[in-house]
Amino acid sequence: MAAHVQDPHQLKDFYNPNVLINLGPSHPAMHGTLRVMCRVNGETIEDANCEIGYLHRAIEKLGEEKTYHQWMVYTDRLNYCSALNNNIAYAMAVENVMNISITERCMYIRVMCMELARIIDHIICVAINALDLGAMTVFWLLYHWREEAYTMIESMCGMRLTTTYARIGGMSYDLPDNLRQRMWKFCEELPRALDEVEGLLTSNRIWIDRTRGVGVVSKEDALKYSITGPCLRASGVDHDLRRDRPYYIYPELDFDVVVGSNGDVYDRYLVRLEEMRQSVRILKQVNDKMPNGPLWVNDKRVQIPEKLDVYNKMEVLIHHFKIFMEGIDVPKGEAFTCVEGPNGELGFYIVSRGGPKAWRMRVKSPSFMLFQNFEASVKGGKIPDAVAHLGSVNIIAGELDR
Amino acid sequence: MTTSIAPKADYLKAQDLLGKRLNEKYGTDRKVEFDKLNEPVIWAKSPEDAKMLFRSFMLDESSKMDFLSDITAYDNKDREDGPKRFVLVYQQYSTTLHVRVRIKCLLDENEQALTLTDLFNGANWLEREVFDMFGISFKGHPNMRRILMDERFSGHPLRKEYPIKQREPFKDNIAFHLGANPKEIDTSITESEEK
Repeated sequence: MAAHVQDPHQLKDFYNPNVLINLGPSHPAMHGTLRVMCRVNGETIEDANCEIGYLHRAIEKLGEEKTYHQWMVYTDRLNYCSALNNNIAYAMAVENVMNISITERCMYIRVMCMELARIIDHIICVAINALDLGAMTVFWLLYHWREEAYTMIESMCGMRLTTTYARIGGMSYDLPDNLRQRMWKFCEELPRALDEVEGLLTSNRIWIDRTRGVGVVSKEDALKYSITGPCLRASGVDHDLRRDRPYYIYPELDFDVVVGSNGDVYDRYLVRLEEMRQSVRILKQVNDKMPNGPLWVNDKRVQIPEKLDVYNKMEVLIHHFKIFMEGIDVPKGEAFTCVEGPNGELGFYIVSRGGPKAWRMRVKSPSFMLFQNFEASVKGGKIPDAVAHLGSVNIIAGELDR
Repeated sequence: MTTSIAPKADYLKAQDLLGKRLNEKYGTDRKVEFDKLNEPVIWAKSPEDAKMLFRSFMLDESSKMDFLSDITAYDNKDREDGPKRFVLVYQQYSTTLHVRVRIKCLLDENEQALTLTDLFNGANWLEREVFDMFGISFKGHPNMRRILMDERFSGHPLRKEYPIKQREPFKDNIAFHLGANPKEIDTSITESEEK
């Protein structure tokens, strides 16, 4: 071929070692607005460079400009696949700075919401990862249950995707009456769908060939790159904040921490699948034990008054407006609160200098660390492997760029 | 004190012990505080001291801080935390004891911090983000560029004087990057073909 090319410039292109393939930022396989520039040799990626910031919305800056209540809605837009988890983690962070301990019923509701959000997030990850690799049936099977979970969330707070369910010191609404029955049905039937998915993928020759030994992140690398969550556990590190730094009622619940061994795409898939089962286990226990009692903490600083009283009593009306117009007064101090989010350690570092606005609102997102590692671990693989790898670590652009 | 932490969590004992030990060992000439979750906060005397503390916590057998949780900073414009402009914050975590420790360091506007990329690869992007948002640069960092904002962007958004509604639109795209380590074009092959 090359001998017939007359133009030397064309020849130069032919032998150019800097052949670049641009993946993203708007491509269905790149899950949001991720961009990776790969230098390829044949089909092997020799070097990769990630570029982020396409979804940067100055959320941390807004955290310093808005009151603690107003900023709650921005937490939905971090990891929009598990908005409930962000809401609750943020409410928890503010409560820790204010030294508030919420009521038992509220704790149960919050744990239930967090586990439901974890299931949704893992469903998205497993289903889309399989879809990227051509297994569409898994997507249909699992998305039915994601819809069911979203409908349950809708019955709790009136929203599906961006929930804003949590409030500082409580929740915006109590659980609906029929949720117990619905949750029970969900917990019974989701594992059956998971069995079907497992039947489709786990011992599937094509799936194994595409995923095993692909996108390997070793145990040492995972620790050096500060990866957390399912990806760290898939690499063989036994670490889960729910067990190791227990918050709320997790010590009373019975669940296992799932640990993989190889750290490849296949192990990450297995870890996520098993974590969904563990979450269902937690949901069952929480659903059975759900205590009665007050939803809101009895603390005048944060408690949002009952609507009926707001309309009928002068003092309560003033109190209501004080909370929403001025905001709540958070004392001077700081705390770094982390929860085990679906993708890993989600932390809110709040520095307060008194008043209704934070001095510094830092969001420590797990996706940031995962994408940083992606840049290094994608080298040496093929381009289709990069797509498999990216799908399996579940990087959410909203959380990555903030 | 009431917080979200489960009352009888195992790590709380280790945390108390660590707080006491740090206070004894490092508290003589450094300020040691405890935050709202009773986690120790150590104020380093200088950027060099901050890195020294980070490394010694990492290697110390009794603290075993083998995990970098976060690197961030905040503006100290009102000088409430000390005489300098910024506060650099390292969050360290132990995967065996499950305790956290926070190292803080005061920095002036033109002062450089030391990079942690030689200890943790994960520090790379975190330090770039601090540089992007606050303008604190890190000595010895391999790739000190902006990360979230455009490369042509001026100013540092998380400084308190940066107005929240300021916009800086660019008409065209940024130039192509050849990746982190671009390869030299080997001209010898094409030259031999041309002959």
